[in-house]
Amino acid sequence: MDYLGLFPVFYVPDVGSAWLMGLTGTIHIMASHTSVGAAMLFAFLAHKAYKEDRDDLYDYMKRYGMFLLIFSYVIGSITGPGIWYTATAASPRGISALIHNFVWVWATEWVFFIYEVIAVFALVYFIGKIDKKTHLKLTYTFALASVGTLALIIGIISFMMWPGNDAFYNTGSASDAFFGLNTFPHMFLRIGFMVMMSGVIGLIISSAMKRENVELSNELTRKMGYVGLIGGFVALFFFMWYISTLPANADAVLGLTLDSIIFNRIILAIMFSLYFFLAILKPQWIGKYLAVIMMFVIGIVGVWPGEKLRESMRKPYVAGQYIYSNQIISRDVPGKGVKSEVEVVAAKGLLGVDPWVPERLRTITPENKLEVGEYLTKRACSNCHSLEKGGKYRSMIALFTDKVQMTDAASIKSYMQVIGTGSIPYMPKIALPDEEYDAMAEWIATQINN
Amino acid sequence: MDATILNVLRDPAGVPFFPVVFQGLYILTWALHAAFVLLALGSFGLSLYGSMKQKHDANWKVLNPHLIQTGKLSISLLILLGIAPLLFTQVIYDAGWYVANTLSGAWVFIFIYALIAAYLMFYWYYYANKRNGGGGTFIGLISFLIVVFCGILMHNFAVISISTPDQWMEMYAPGGVIDTSGLNLAWDIVRLAFLVSLAIPVLGIFLQNYSDFVSTKSDYSADFVSFTRKLGNKFAVIGLLISAVLFVLWMMQENLLMHPVSLATIVSVVILLIMAMFLKNSYITTLWLVVVALFISGIRELIRYNIMSGLGYDLYGYPVNLEIPTIAMFLSTFVILGFTGVAYILTMAWKVGKLENGATLDGTKSAAVTKLGNITLGLFVLWMLIYFAWGMIILFKNTL
Repeated sequence: MDYLGLFPVFYVPDVGSAWLMGLTGTIHIMASHTSVGAAMLFAFLAHKAYKEDRDDLYDYMKRYGMFLLIFSYVIGSITGPGIWYTATAASPRGISALIHNFVWVWATEWVFFIYEVIAVFALVYFIGKIDKKTHLKLTYTFALASVGTLALIIGIISFMMWPGNDAFYNTGSASDAFFGLNTFPHMFLRIGFMVMMSGVIGLIISSAMKRENVELSNELTRKMGYVGLIGGFVALFFFMWYISTLPANADAVLGLTLDSIIFNRIILAIMFSLYFFLAILKPQWIGKYLAVIMMFVIGIVGVWPGEKLRESMRKPYVAGQYIYSNQIISRDVPGKGVKSEVEVVAAKGLLGVDPWVPERLRTITPENKLEVGEYLTKRACSNCHSLEKGGKYRSMIALFTDKVQMTDAASIKSYMQVIGTGSIPYMPKIALPDEEYDAMAEWIATQINN
Repeated sequence: MDATILNVLRDPAGVPFFPVVFQGLYILTWALHAAFVLLALGSFGLSLYGSMKQKHDANWKVLNPHLIQTGKLSISLLILLGIAPLLFTQVIYDAGWYVANTLSGAWVFIFIYALIAAYLMFYWYYYANKRNGGGGTFIGLISFLIVVFCGILMHNFAVISISTPDQWMEMYAPGGVIDTSGLNLAWDIVRLAFLVSLAIPVLGIFLQNYSDFVSTKSDYSADFVSFTRKLGNKFAVIGLLISAVLFVLWMMQENLLMHPVSLATIVSVVILLIMAMFLKNSYITTLWLVVVALFISGIRELIRYNIMSGLGYDLYGYPVNLEIPTIAMFLSTFVILGFTGVAYILTMAWKVGKLENGATLDGTKSAAVTKLGNITLGLFVLWMLIYFAWGMIILFKNTL
């Protein structure tokens, strides 16, 4: 047997396992981006407090810091490894490829993260207990450590989209993989968003201070308005650059949804510009409930669709444009000694190369055909599609019934065979043996017609 | 699972450095992670008792907020320090890590959100206790139980990954019928009991340290210092005896009782017991505790190595694709920046902790704080400059 290094399939009915990662990822982005943005903001505020000898700004930093400890350093620090865990369950070979290429980068990020977390506890709890100059220095190091975590993770998540050229495939070097074409635009896009998030969260804190000190509350609300505007502008500017560094398959997905993305982003940009201008011009109008609602708006209408789009644009790959979402290696990577698995799958079928198939299912018979079809569909399609009728995300049944309007096994099989030739850029180019297509098509047809 | 499949499940890209180095880093970082897991369990657990006593007992009134604060920081640090062993284990033991995560995929998801809920409730407990000068016990208890539940889930992942490779197929397809629900669970009660029991002596030695620390401060009474020291002694001694018995049972179960690492661990525990009972300077006891933790971490790794190599997994034959620039980055960051930075904050924390009655630390007058601060800041700036220069060079090389 020529087994491939495939792992057991984990599948959540109606949702699909990959979406668990999407949910965790969205929560993490909100928390982690706020933390990096707030670290930069803290450096600015601590500098101002030291230069102008202002004690009141420390009170604001302390409140912000306490919020940050819970929002970013409880939720964020758990969802960080949480993405990793859920990604492992959903796409084990994808995350394995990243780990085996970037383990030392990740380990370096861990060092920065340790410093960042110890520093945030220190700078929050040391307020009023150490002199301002020492506190300022500590805050500078915290900001640099925090930006450092971004600098280290950004190359890895950019590589997930693509390395940008062939250098990595030939050398296998982590440096060539890490510093790809879209690493820096991606970094500055996120820095802009992080600064904006620090403003969005900063408005919650400043608006909650009205009762104790209305003047300070208004001053900081204005400042957070400026911070949000600057961050939003930087994010939009670098988004344009980032889009121009994407691979062709991403352009194809982008092309399908470009109008709705532009509409969504324009609406968001207008909404948040108005919000930030309101904070600058009429700070007294920003209440804490409005500020909290706007935080949820940015999460639900901004981050969630943004992350869904980024995940979709990677298709059909999950990492480095050499591993498909269904965990099959799509091309040779000579620099690492990695071989394409597409050919062996075409010749022997998934049943012939998957070490996790029970013996009674290795050969398709009339009795087990539907059972095998279900398993093969889960193995080949469930990383991106939910498989049940009424499934929530990228429902395969809905695609067949509504989009291509094919409901019988023969048509479904033909359609899958066409996809396997690579005719759709965001679908994997993998051919399967005829009998495996048959089994999958029959099971899908059964689902449609049940 | 036979040897062929276990070896096929290794990543085709190979490992970027020699496997034995990852093994060593795993042992080291797991020991650090475990230390804070145990301190979190111990301090959190004792604080629940303390939260009921602190309104009426002067000593508990002082101690309990510190126990809760210790629990809060320890949970944060255990999460942080847990990242590294996860990283290193999956580089060299791909099969175990990825199979356990897929076979228990649903529990993985539950684990993440349960831990978030537990930690948020912990903050609730912290604020409730702080506001009322005691209490919050009920929400604290719920949080504690969820933390324990998360610990059991983590134990389950470890057991599936290292102790049951020959049962993986039956878990995935019981009776030949494939189950993709990711709801598998597995236990090893003796192993779990031993590891959890270590929370008691770790808490005891922490309390000894705490007592020594506050003994030099005039705002803590001699009675309180004596109370915490006695409490620490009791937990350390009784806890070590319980852990020692459970360790022997565990080693008997694994047929490793006479193995040199196992014997060395027993000797190290006996030395720790003597130190905890008689040594006046508990900071030295803590240093020895680190050695014991490394032995225990080593035993865990020995068990896994024996199981996997017994099944034919060729760890040291894992293809190596040397990756020099990034390991150079890691080692220099870890050793130079990491140690300097942590020393900087710990020095400050130590000095702040020694302040009395609302005094302020003037860090500019402390040579250690000033120098360490300047060096740390300089190293961060230098690191950033190197990062961008490196990125530019690679980008120009590959695109121009």
